[in-house]
Amino acid sequence: MTTFIVRRLLGAIPLVLGIATIIFFVVNLAPGDPADRFSSPSMSPEAREQIRVNLGLDQPIHIRYVRWLGALAQGDLGVSFSRNRPVTDIIQELLPNTLLLSFTAIGVAFVLGILLGILQAVRQYSLLDSIASIVGLFFYSMPSFWLALMMVLLFSLFASVWGWPIYFPASDIQSIDYAFLSPFEKVRDRLWHLTLPATSLALVLAAGIARYTRASMLEEIRQDFVRTARAKGLSERVVIFKHTLRNALIPVITLVGLYLPFLFSGTVFIETVFAWPGMGKLVVDAILQRDYPIIMGGSLVFAMMVVVGNLVADVLYAVVDPRIRYD
Amino acid sequence: MTDRLGPRRSRLALSALLPGLPQLVVGRWGVGGLGLTVWVAFLAVLLTRWARFAAGWGGPLDHQIASLTVVAGLLGTWGWSMFDVSRQAELERSGISQWKLAAEAFKKNRIAVIGAVVIVWVYLIALVTPLIAPYDPAMQGPLMGRLVAPSGEFLLGTDHLSRDVFSRMMYGARISLSIGFVAVGISVTIGTLLGAMAGYLGGWIDAVVMRFVDMVISFPRLVLLIAIVALFDTQSIFLIMAVLGFTQWPGTARIVRGEVLSLREQEFVEATRALGFSRRRIILRHVIPNVLAPVIVTATLGIGNVIVLEAGLSFLGLGLQPPTPSWGSMVADGRDFLLNAWWISTFPGLAIVLTVVAFNLVGDGLRDALDPRLRA
Amino acid sequence: MREARLARLILVAGLTVMMGACGGEGGASREAGPWMLEASLAEAGSGIPFCEEVTARVSAFMSQFEGQMPPSERHGGAVVVASIGEIPDGMNNHVSQDYTASQHQSFVNLMTLVTYDENQIAMPYLAESWEVSDDASEITFHIRDDVYWHDGELTDAYDVAYTFKRAIDPETAFPNAAYWTHYDQGPDGVEVVDSFTVKFRMRPHADYIDPWRATAIMPEHLLGDVPSTELRQHPYGTVCPVGNGPFIFVEHREAASWTFQANPAFPAGLGGRPYVDRYVYRVITEQTTLLTELLTGGLDVYIRPMPDQAQAVIDSDAVDLLQYPFRSYVLVGWNARRPQLADKRVRQALTRGTNRQEIVDALLQGYGTVANGSVPPFHWAYDPSIGRDAMSYDQDAARALLDAAGWVDRDGDGVRENAEGVRLAISIKYNHGNDMRQDIAEIMQAQLADIGVEVTPTVVEWGTLLDQIGQSPRDFDGVVMGWVVEYKLDDTDLFHSRNISATYAWSGTQRPDIDRFLDELPLVVDREEAKPLWSQYQELLVDEQPYTFFFFSDRLDGINKRLRGVEMDARGEWLNIKDWWIPADLR
Repeated sequence: MTTFIVRRLLGAIPLVLGIATIIFFVVNLAPGDPADRFSSPSMSPEAREQIRVNLGLDQPIHIRYVRWLGALAQGDLGVSFSRNRPVTDIIQELLPNTLLLSFTAIGVAFVLGILLGILQAVRQYSLLDSIASIVGLFFYSMPSFWLALMMVLLFSLFASVWGWPIYFPASDIQSIDYAFLSPFEKVRDRLWHLTLPATSLALVLAAGIARYTRASMLEEIRQDFVRTARAKGLSERVVIFKHTLRNALIPVITLVGLYLPFLFSGTVFIETVFAWPGMGKLVVDAILQRDYPIIMGGSLVFAMMVVVGNLVADVLYAVVDPRIRYD
Repeated sequence: MTDRLGPRRSRLALSALLPGLPQLVVGRWGVGGLGLTVWVAFLAVLLTRWARFAAGWGGPLDHQIASLTVVAGLLGTWGWSMFDVSRQAELERSGISQWKLAAEAFKKNRIAVIGAVVIVWVYLIALVTPLIAPYDPAMQGPLMGRLVAPSGEFLLGTDHLSRDVFSRMMYGARISLSIGFVAVGISVTIGTLLGAMAGYLGGWIDAVVMRFVDMVISFPRLVLLIAIVALFDTQSIFLIMAVLGFTQWPGTARIVRGEVLSLREQEFVEATRALGFSRRRIILRHVIPNVLAPVIVTATLGIGNVIVLEAGLSFLGLGLQPPTPSWGSMVADGRDFLLNAWWISTFPGLAIVLTVVAFNLVGDGLRDALDPRLRA
Repeated sequence: MREARLARLILVAGLTVMMGACGGEGGASREAGPWMLEASLAEAGSGIPFCEEVTARVSAFMSQFEGQMPPSERHGGAVVVASIGEIPDGMNNHVSQDYTASQHQSFVNLMTLVTYDENQIAMPYLAESWEVSDDASEITFHIRDDVYWHDGELTDAYDVAYTFKRAIDPETAFPNAAYWTHYDQGPDGVEVVDSFTVKFRMRPHADYIDPWRATAIMPEHLLGDVPSTELRQHPYGTVCPVGNGPFIFVEHREAASWTFQANPAFPAGLGGRPYVDRYVYRVITEQTTLLTELLTGGLDVYIRPMPDQAQAVIDSDAVDLLQYPFRSYVLVGWNARRPQLADKRVRQALTRGTNRQEIVDALLQGYGTVANGSVPPFHWAYDPSIGRDAMSYDQDAARALLDAAGWVDRDGDGVRENAEGVRLAISIKYNHGNDMRQDIAEIMQAQLADIGVEVTPTVVEWGTLLDQIGQSPRDFDGVVMGWVVEYKLDDTDLFHSRNISATYAWSGTQRPDIDRFLDELPLVVDREEAKPLWSQYQELLVDEQPYTFFFFSDRLDGINKRLRGVEMDARGEWLNIKDWWIPADLR
């Protein structure tokens, strides 16, 4: 298994590099000049050129590419144009926030989605099944930023203005006096801030997972061994949970890997609405500001997440399904 | 065959007057309802908007298309119904193909049929919009009287530039639907061709294509999308369609390749090889038609995805050139007014949800119907 | 049984929610106590040698103040301010031109030599006093001797000289280098007389004091060794700044927040330590979220709510809306190099065919003033009568102007053509993500159609747009832009023939009489003498119409009612942040 993982990771290096290269040329060949952002009316053309020199933009593109590759080999992603800090530092600061949000959302979505999917499959064609399908599809079809805004208005603004017993903060990952809280209060404060963004993200995912679980369960329920189990007189509960569920979940579990990359695009919108300082928003801002080093660094991280996600899916597959072995 | 409406002649007469009704009465409520509503609605359009209809022929292209749609819709509905009624008996006796089986299975799925009817209607409305929209979508009323709440005069209210939300939504349907349609068209074409090639030809072609697929799948798609749309000049609708299309195909390619791999070894394909057909012909004429089922399903689901994605782009400020409205840009532009003029973004938002739900229902229905194992 | 499981599920969900509800009370209030240096400071920039060293020194110096009790009832509490943008260049004045950044440098973390009072008269701040030689060729500043950098070094004349030298060094590429146009930039330009006295040489001109209002003094002992080309990316700016102003930097969370703490060593002569214990600046990009945070008490100040949000702020019991005229105007610049726009009558017609008053009343909700020139309403040189009638909304007048200029609808398609058959069709470009500019372009499209002009609004990404309007071949017809006016009014970069090929000559109009004013105005020192000259100059601008000046929008700010002592005007939101206070029972 270890050799398999190592081999896969090594094999992914050219893939990630290829992606980074394409993005490098797309952003660098696009019209416009990052130095424009720093220019001002009173700035002479010489000063403007000086900024380009200071940022290393005066070199031709192939030199810049080689330099970038060279620095990358040493783990250096350069210094952000717009934030004036090393890109690795910024990623170190923001990636954990995105991971926290994504993994919480994935966790909630899987629990919610699988439970709902089982319920729907067990009661196929019932009223509950139809309602759950439609409601699920409703969330699945909603632009996520719109859902997020509704959450803000409903559970933060109106909840507070109308004096509901509960209300959640609309932005950021922590309260402003986070530094003074006790460890327990810190955890609580984080969770409190996490609730709305994670729920917004999870609702969209859960709908998909429920659909998948339902289909998978239905397929398993029709299998012969389930019929045998029933014939043996086992209770419906044992049949469903002991025999069917385990097999039905195999394909569902692998979704974890496939959802990882999706989450990174999904978080862009959630992060923007909830002012959640994370990677998605960082990269989108960087694109709009032509902050080449951050665009490149962020894309690398995203591409690696996809590779890791696929790997996780394969490994999980092997874990839950003993028939599959990677040697 | 039981016939509640008596002899064929009376059904024909009924069909001549109200196409769709005979089908509706015998319980084929999907097509029947669709035919009847189209007939009635288009007749109403013809009667109430006669001036615009007549002027449409000499007007701009979208007007011509609208007028043409009305005529075609009316003639088509009428002709189909008459043909359908007169040939009903023969149709039922005709042979049973896979597609017909699937169609039968699909019809049993009530909710999917509703989805299909919704989609057809949304497309029809989009086509005849120039005839029925109450206002010009770019026309601004007096700015001081902007943000009018939904009323008799403005069904869904007006927006922050005093434009009619209802009319803009109708025009927006055209943009959102075309983006979905074209982008998915591009991706499905590329995906099917490459997938079929890789699966059928195998060898190094397969290896190269699948490496490429891996790369495009691993691509941070949103990053590329935003980079291209944001950095390369102005945002034309074609650029957005193309970028969405060219990044969406790998899923299709993978599915098609998988199907083709199993098809390749089947007897009928071997037979074509034995007959000495060219590989191009085998792939295009014999392999691809047999993998269309899953492709149709992905395409249907894909259109919904693209519509939502376009809304997301608009939210990031990367939508279409104004004043062209798309549902996505209407939701995005109206979100700042959620508190004092909720109608600006809520109605287009509901339109997106409704349409995407419909596409998903149809997609699910098609999957169930096209997969023999899932037919109940 | 299944129902029972569902019930358990609901119970779990309910518990989670209740836990969230409790969390809300955790953060609300903290007892006012003795001054303590915040622990987060020690972590700022850990791993970066420069930062580790300076934060250690700050901690060492500040530790002597720990345990000091707040001097008055007003002292204590935390104030939270939020706006849609980061502070891009942080506290590094050498490279910054951003408004929010310069506000924080001037009023929060660093200090300027002088500040303005509400009549734009210079007041002592870091400089105790100054005198100008009789021939106005020398200015001598006497620096306060009780201002400490937060790491314990005294701020002195060498810091002032250092800041000036950096600013004029071309390798720094200081964005506001033009402040110093009239200062002697040679080796004799600046002279440190003694530790707290510094002298500058200059050509006599008006507004000689203004640069010292805008330029925050930087610490030489920390940055003196850094090569000018590396200043922009130096960790000082955004990771571990060390200022000398009323607030100590504590923490910067990228794209999220900046935290500052009251500086106990701030000179008593300048009011001593600020009232509030902490000041937090937060970045929230979505305006609905910002408004929600303000209305739910998460924020004390919401910088610049949209005009359409103003009513919600006014209606709320918990917050107030502050409104005041500001220094920025919105304009539509016309590219006079284009054949359709070369004739000033066409440009006049485009202005007169647009109902700007209606746009101010509707889109700005009345929070603004129609602009007819580049002098903002609060400025001493402002004259409201200029252009008021000449450029009023009048479609017939606009049509007449176009007719006179030879643009007539010759083929009956609703759009005018000239004698050669060129259609009067123009595009108006604007940048992404600015709804107001998009609205203006769309409104002009609708309104100018009435007078036979075809307008196509075109959205372009910001960087590309700057390129297209600023660089040859100037690929645009009209462009919606905003402009922030400095107190030192100077349109030379915009309208002087000499700068015709420079970046900001968007319009490319040339007129000798305008040039003459632009050359002379900066040299007239006496305001009474200068005012009529400014009026004459503005009249010429109205006639030439290089831009359709659109409006000066008022600045709006949403303020939580618990926050007292807030003063805001065109000088900025952070103007008197050290005097803001919160009653003890509302902290």
